[in-house]
Amino acid sequence: MANQIDPEFPCSLTIDLPLPTARLASAAMQALRVDKELSPLVRRSFSTISTASTHASKDSSLVSSSEETILRTEYKATTNRMLRVAVNGFMESMSVVLGVMEELDVDVLGVEAPK
Amino acid sequence: MIAIGLEGSANKLGVGIISHPSPGKPAKVLSNIRHTFVTPPGEGFLPKDTAKHHRTWVVRLVKQAMVEAGVSINDIDCICYTKGPGMGAPLQSVAVAARMLSLLWQKELVGVNHCVGHIEMGREITGAQNPVVLYVSGGNTQVIAYAEQRYRIFGEALDIAVGNCLDRFARTLEISNDPAPGYNIEQLAKKGKVLLDLPYAVKGMDCSFSGILASIDILAGDLKANPDQRDPLTGEVITTADLCFSLQETVYAMLVEITERAMAHVGSNQVLIVGGVGCNERLQEMMGIMAKDRGGSVFGMDERFAIDNGIMIAHAGLEAYKTGFTTPLEESTCTQRFRTDEVFVRWRD
Repeated sequence: MANQIDPEFPCSLTIDLPLPTARLASAAMQALRVDKELSPLVRRSFSTISTASTHASKDSSLVSSSEETILRTEYKATTNRMLRVAVNGFMESMSVVLGVMEELDVDVLGVEAPK
Repeated sequence: MIAIGLEGSANKLGVGIISHPSPGKPAKVLSNIRHTFVTPPGEGFLPKDTAKHHRTWVVRLVKQAMVEAGVSINDIDCICYTKGPGMGAPLQSVAVAARMLSLLWQKELVGVNHCVGHIEMGREITGAQNPVVLYVSGGNTQVIAYAEQRYRIFGEALDIAVGNCLDRFARTLEISNDPAPGYNIEQLAKKGKVLLDLPYAVKGMDCSFSGILASIDILAGDLKANPDQRDPLTGEVITTADLCFSLQETVYAMLVEITERAMAHVGSNQVLIVGGVGCNERLQEMMGIMAKDRGGSVFGMDERFAIDNGIMIAHAGLEAYKTGFTTPLEESTCTQRFRTDEVFVRWRD
């Protein structure tokens, strides 16, 4: 990414996760950011961005939208090991988030009781 | 009103859906399902693996619970989850699921104290009016009595929980952890006859188990090295069944003593045993003898409600929700340490 490297946290990684809707991206962000990062050697921030604002929009076959459907997670850490541990934890939590979205959302379970 | 509860503070992942039809009417269990992370003999469960188990099972358990209960998202009033106490990573993995449900279903969250969940479910199932509660599990050992809108801790284990002592001894003996190590210790103990000498560590209203565990581990080591060992008093051959028997008799006698001390203190003659160790029939028997001597009785539950479950979280959470309590999303964290008396029990007078 084109951000400056933080000298105190030189090891960084940005993960862009495209989701079907802005509602899902916002829910994922709100659910994941509640837990503080366990280690003081790691900093993390979440945001939601639109496809129009990422590099992906340069690919003419992809439709750009101003809807913020992408969950952007930025990690920076003092060492690569700390970065790896933190990102692994993020991925594990993400699997639960995606699982709930996929199988337990209102359109999947149905808001009304089955007749 | 209907609530869904998610529990995952230890190696059991439970999802329960409860209905509180109307004041005065008993609560109705709509579904109560659980999946336990069972480790191989000789091994305990570590936070990382336990969290992985919960992450793998939480979505399908919630789905199954909703189907079994026959309720829809519209019917659910709130989403209850275990805030603590317990193991960090497992608690957090379940909390993430609860938060997602709250956001996608647009329902409020209620963070529940695990110990209060056990107590409230015990009260509801058994109908015990105002008992002294003995909460005994792998992670907790507390003697609790209700006073002025808090569950006050009268006595507790100073080091490790009684269930932890039993579970770790099961590891020493390398017996199966399926369905639970304590259950298998209990079955083995039924075949024991020789009461071996173990430390008895009651300290006032509290008790201590780590010294007893060290002692029984040494005895087990001695027995393994010398299988023909005989008890110096009776001359009988000692078996692992005798070790289990002696351990249970000792630790349960200690629990009966500190419970009785609390009963004398508050003037109650009823005991409610909650928590996984409460399933143990010998503990129920010993407690019953003491309670009967005092003109009282013991209340217990079966494994559906005694062992960690989601329905107790739904039940305690819904009680709190009905008094106006909710947990804002930003505060829906988990904590490993969460004292039972930190909870303001607004739903009782």
